[in-house]
Amino acid sequence: MDWHQLWEIVSAPDNVPIVGLIFLVPFYAWYGLRQAVANDRLIAQLEADPALAKTHHRKVFPFEKGWSKEVHVWPYLLRIEFLAAIIVTVILILWSISLDAPLEELANPNLTMNPAKAPWYFLGLQEMLVYFHPWMAGVVMPTLIIIGLMVIPYIDANPLGSGYYTWKQRKFAIGTFAFGFIVLWCSMIVIGTFIRGPGWMWFWPGQTWDPTRVVYEVNRDLHEVFGITSWPGKIIFGASAVGLYVVVAGFACHKLITLTEFSRKIYLRMNLLQYLTMQFFLVTMLSLPVKILLRLLLRINYVWVTPWFSL
Amino acid sequence: MPENHDRDPVVFSSLSAYLLIASLLLTVSLGLALYNEFFGLRPWKDYQRQFKSRYAHFLEKEIPRQAAAEKAILGSAEYQDLQKKLKDAEEAARPNLNEIDSQVARIDQRLAGVTTEFTDKRAYVSSAIYIIERTSGERSRKRREENLEKFRKGPFRLRLPALDASGKIEDVSFTYDQLEEEFNRLREQKSNLLTQKVEVLRPVTELRHQAQTYVQDHLNGLGADQLKGLLKKTRSLSIEIKQIHNPDAHLVERCESCHLAIREPVVVTRQDMGGVKDRMAAAFTSHPSPELLQIHNPEKFGCTPCHNGNGMQVVSVQKAHGNYEHWLWPLYPRANFEAGCQQCHASDMVVDHAPMLSRGKELFQWRGCMGCHRFQGYDAETEDVTAVQQQIAQLEMKRQETQREIRAAIQLGDQAADNETARSFYQRAEALRVSTGDIDGRIEQLDYRARNLLQDIKKVGPSLKEVRVKLRAEWVPVWITNPHDFRPTTRMPRFRLDEDEVKSVAAFIWQSGVEGKLPVQPRGDAARGKESFETRGCLGCHSIGEGDNRTGGTFAANLTRVGEKVNYDYLVRWVHDPRERTRPYCPFEKRDLTEDDYKKHGKPFVFDPEHSECPNDGHELQVEQMTVMPSLRLSIQEARDIATYLMTQKEKDLASYPAAPYLSDVALKAEGLKVVQRYGCAGCHEIAGLETEGRIGTELTKEGSKPLEQFDFALLVTEAREQGWHSHKGFFEHKLQKPEMFDQGLIKAEGEELKMPNFNLKPEDITALTTFLMGAVDSTVPRQYQYLPSDQRRDVQEGWWLIKKYNCMGCHQFKVGQATGLEVLARFQTPEGKDQLPPKLLGEGARVSPDWLLRFLTNPALSKNDTDRNGIRPYLKTRMPTFYFSPNEVRKLVRFFQAMSSQPMPYIPPRLDPLTNQELTLARALFTSRAAPCLKCHATGDAGHDRYATAPNFLFAPERLKPGWTKRWLLDPSMISPGTAMPSGLFKRDGARWVFAGPTPPIFAGYEGDQADLLVRYMFAMTAEEQRRLVGMSAGAMKSAASVSRSDESHARLQVPAGQLLSQAH
Repeated sequence: MDWHQLWEIVSAPDNVPIVGLIFLVPFYAWYGLRQAVANDRLIAQLEADPALAKTHHRKVFPFEKGWSKEVHVWPYLLRIEFLAAIIVTVILILWSISLDAPLEELANPNLTMNPAKAPWYFLGLQEMLVYFHPWMAGVVMPTLIIIGLMVIPYIDANPLGSGYYTWKQRKFAIGTFAFGFIVLWCSMIVIGTFIRGPGWMWFWPGQTWDPTRVVYEVNRDLHEVFGITSWPGKIIFGASAVGLYVVVAGFACHKLITLTEFSRKIYLRMNLLQYLTMQFFLVTMLSLPVKILLRLLLRINYVWVTPWFSL
Repeated sequence: MPENHDRDPVVFSSLSAYLLIASLLLTVSLGLALYNEFFGLRPWKDYQRQFKSRYAHFLEKEIPRQAAAEKAILGSAEYQDLQKKLKDAEEAARPNLNEIDSQVARIDQRLAGVTTEFTDKRAYVSSAIYIIERTSGERSRKRREENLEKFRKGPFRLRLPALDASGKIEDVSFTYDQLEEEFNRLREQKSNLLTQKVEVLRPVTELRHQAQTYVQDHLNGLGADQLKGLLKKTRSLSIEIKQIHNPDAHLVERCESCHLAIREPVVVTRQDMGGVKDRMAAAFTSHPSPELLQIHNPEKFGCTPCHNGNGMQVVSVQKAHGNYEHWLWPLYPRANFEAGCQQCHASDMVVDHAPMLSRGKELFQWRGCMGCHRFQGYDAETEDVTAVQQQIAQLEMKRQETQREIRAAIQLGDQAADNETARSFYQRAEALRVSTGDIDGRIEQLDYRARNLLQDIKKVGPSLKEVRVKLRAEWVPVWITNPHDFRPTTRMPRFRLDEDEVKSVAAFIWQSGVEGKLPVQPRGDAARGKESFETRGCLGCHSIGEGDNRTGGTFAANLTRVGEKVNYDYLVRWVHDPRERTRPYCPFEKRDLTEDDYKKHGKPFVFDPEHSECPNDGHELQVEQMTVMPSLRLSIQEARDIATYLMTQKEKDLASYPAAPYLSDVALKAEGLKVVQRYGCAGCHEIAGLETEGRIGTELTKEGSKPLEQFDFALLVTEAREQGWHSHKGFFEHKLQKPEMFDQGLIKAEGEELKMPNFNLKPEDITALTTFLMGAVDSTVPRQYQYLPSDQRRDVQEGWWLIKKYNCMGCHQFKVGQATGLEVLARFQTPEGKDQLPPKLLGEGARVSPDWLLRFLTNPALSKNDTDRNGIRPYLKTRMPTFYFSPNEVRKLVRFFQAMSSQPMPYIPPRLDPLTNQELTLARALFTSRAAPCLKCHATGDAGHDRYATAPNFLFAPERLKPGWTKRWLLDPSMISPGTAMPSGLFKRDGARWVFAGPTPPIFAGYEGDQADLLVRYMFAMTAEEQRRLVGMSAGAMKSAASVSRSDESHARLQVPAGQLLSQAH
């Protein structure tokens, strides 16, 4: 166990946000869910009480009879936000005093650093480059991520759960987002920071980053596994493999969308365009962990190779 | 939530406490930020404040001390005397001065009145002229001219004081022209008076200057007033970034923001600035070598070009010194700081003020590093030969091409339709034919150059073609196994060979050696040989005795056990003429020629620098062994004596060497060749079949700027990082110490291991080489800042390479303070021994004529037939050897000596007035006078006398010496060559001329000329006949001189054989 190196990585000013991320993301996820569960309990309590259910009371815990249904933004929200702003400012000032910006000297084109890492917020994208063709990982996927985030309000057919934390009423939405953000995005950043060493090789935390390390990791395209060599063969084979994935993944997503009584109700509220858009993004998002697993476990490079693009 | 919550916490809970705490925290953090901004991020401010107080304190202590010293000087009798003289001179000048001053005062008064009036009128006239010049109308122009004329007539009335002593006010009336004249006259008078004043004051000014310089000369360091100035400057030092900016060299440097005393004119030490242990005090010292700053003005060169580090950084010591990951040029460590010199002084072999770097450069050549590693400038001859040969090939092709074009042009001319066209074609053919002549000329010159270069190529190790004739077979494997066992100081490194490899290498070398028969030499006399070995100068380069018993130079092999390795016959040949080869090598056919090759063409089997043409193809042959060892021009008998003596140098019984029958095993040869090629043996040795082998190592010219990541630390990279030697310095040092260390733990196929052998380097040599390699960088300094002179300094640069190549410093002194190999030997410590030392070459260029020097270097015997002697100093047992320099190298050496003494090239000897008959008589008298018996020490060509002579023959003077130098030498020889036996003070000053200091012969009465000049002119007119006459004349004088006791030991010593001299002189 190379504690010295581990400390060097953890304490590097570049990596401080990610160390923070490891603790803060789970904490706030837990904190938000706790509030959501409390709210859910309150809603159940209110709905069980026919007297209260009639009047539209607020659904945010804590709540007692007689409390006003709504409060004003000023001062009740803004004073809290102001307090938060001060605290964040203090943290930022202390942070910037204690850790200097990790700026380096003039770039030397003859000397590239190893490993060369993107800024922490882009490490997820850089990690994706390992699994996808650069065109996919660098252009298509980021575009789809942005568009996917943009379409959320348009494909969201669930009328409940806006304005307060709730888990019961938005299980699907929260689950999908947590999967995309926490499981995929954040973990890829963590991998990029702590796991990827010289040569972008996989080093477990505590393993010494040896620049001279040699590993046997030869990747094959899927068609090579099946011994297909001709171009038409490769294209058709790859297309069918991707098609198969789309069908299987689409089916699985459909099962997920229509899992419970509640979700089936939402499903019925969606029109075809909304449904197809949602399916498209879900299937695309799911392709990321699938490809990661294919690469890490089976050393598959591309599934579908064509002269124009590869997946 | 508790049940008793009856009020909504969102509305009713108070956040005041939180807000208060948060605001307080915000205020504190803002304070912290401000503190950080002004103090934390700017440590140099603290440095500057500290410097101000510490330096002021230091100066305050220093001022009274210097003031006291100054007072002591002012109180000295000499200074008081000067002051008194000064006062007297002032007194003497006063009456004159007063008169002049009063006159000047009167002129000033009158001039004041005239000037006001004149300048006013002149302004009017100038403007009127301008208007007239610009007026176009004829009439108005005329009118204005008339007006101006009227104005100039005046009259202008002035009241001026008269010039005489009365000073009466007088009324005068001037026209404009008169006014101008008066103005100019007064000014001229005034300036004349002021010139007079300077003249009157001259003695006073001179004395005052003398008094000032007296104080400066006697005061160590700055005076109290100057120190007070420094103190004032220090007190008013403003706290700010001190920056050097030279856009020309892309320099922005702030080093002096902390190193504030670096350029101070006083010596400031750590002790002065707060103690040896104080970290800050280290930053406040003055530069340890201010003379270097004088050569390299910091305003121009800055700091980092020499020292490295990040000149722009001021946030921390670590960053400013560049000791962090992202700065590629960290400050050179103390042990290697001279590395910084290399990037501008790469073309120098010897860098003044940088002994460590110079040592590194020398070692790189001496240990033969360039045999495997290319380094620009080293072993340049080999590369030049290749380039020249390529050029020749290209020119030969061009020549053929031209011939073809000529034929084509003639053909076209023959077929041309009309005469005009035909003529133009023929003309073209003519022009082309002429151009082939030029090409021929160029080829000839290149051939000549190639020939010179081939002669200049020397190998670090001996030729392995000669092994069969040279060595005892049993010795070869013993040597290859570990050369350091046999000879601890050898230059040959130890290769990591296993037993089989040793055998195969030995077999390969043995079998690739050329066959040849040496004449069988009779044995000589070992005792005489020992004497010759110790006196002829062999010990200038070679040493004998191991460990503490070692005597002699370190340049060439230690000969303690040489008797165990060589054949006697070969050794005789080697001592007699080391350049002699068994067989010549033809680089064109790539083989060693045999007698048959010559026989085929009916030529005798003779090859030497004069007979160096290949009988088969006419190409230049390699006719010499590629060694720097020169020929001492010994007789064959003396060579036998020395060889016999050397053969007695043994430690082990020859019979104890195990037999090595495998040396003739043909089966081993192929394997041996592989190993020899793998380890690059041909880099240092001449090996048959491997003459054109390339270098096996990496180029090192810019190794110091190779990114650290590209150094193969192999498995040791983590260890190196943890132990703090993951740096260029660390790599070089470890590699030189233990070249195979980076193979540690690696699994490598056979033959893939690191090849670099172990050189058994001493720690100081490792530091020197490391310094050199660290400095070997791709220079970031602009070309005009690098030391690439095109004048005489370049000749000096080039010369040093040769001086080091041939180890001239083994016998001669070139710089004051440089010890030669010989002068430290016990034999040369006695007065007699000192006279036997080879001459010092300080100022040699000023001494000798370059033409003569060229002849001498080519043939130090200065004779074609009688070569077993020293040409110029036959009395020295130490022999100036023949180096067989190529014309190329002789030229460089001559230029070097001339440049070292700043002599212009080419040298044009000055014309000396011929001697009149009277002067001739005088000169002879002086030459043979009892007080100056020149011929007592100087050789005359008479064998009997010359045995005791300790100085050169005067006959050489006209051709050899420069008259100017000769005179300077006569006047003060010890100034030119400290410790010379030539007596100083022979002449004394008498007005503008030099006269002989001793009693002059009576006939000198009435001779007004310079007597030193007379002697020089006489010497330069010296002939053999004149010399014989002198010898005859001086015999009597010498006899009496013998009775004159002289303190000079070398002269005193000569008194003994004076009687003998007398009889021999006749």
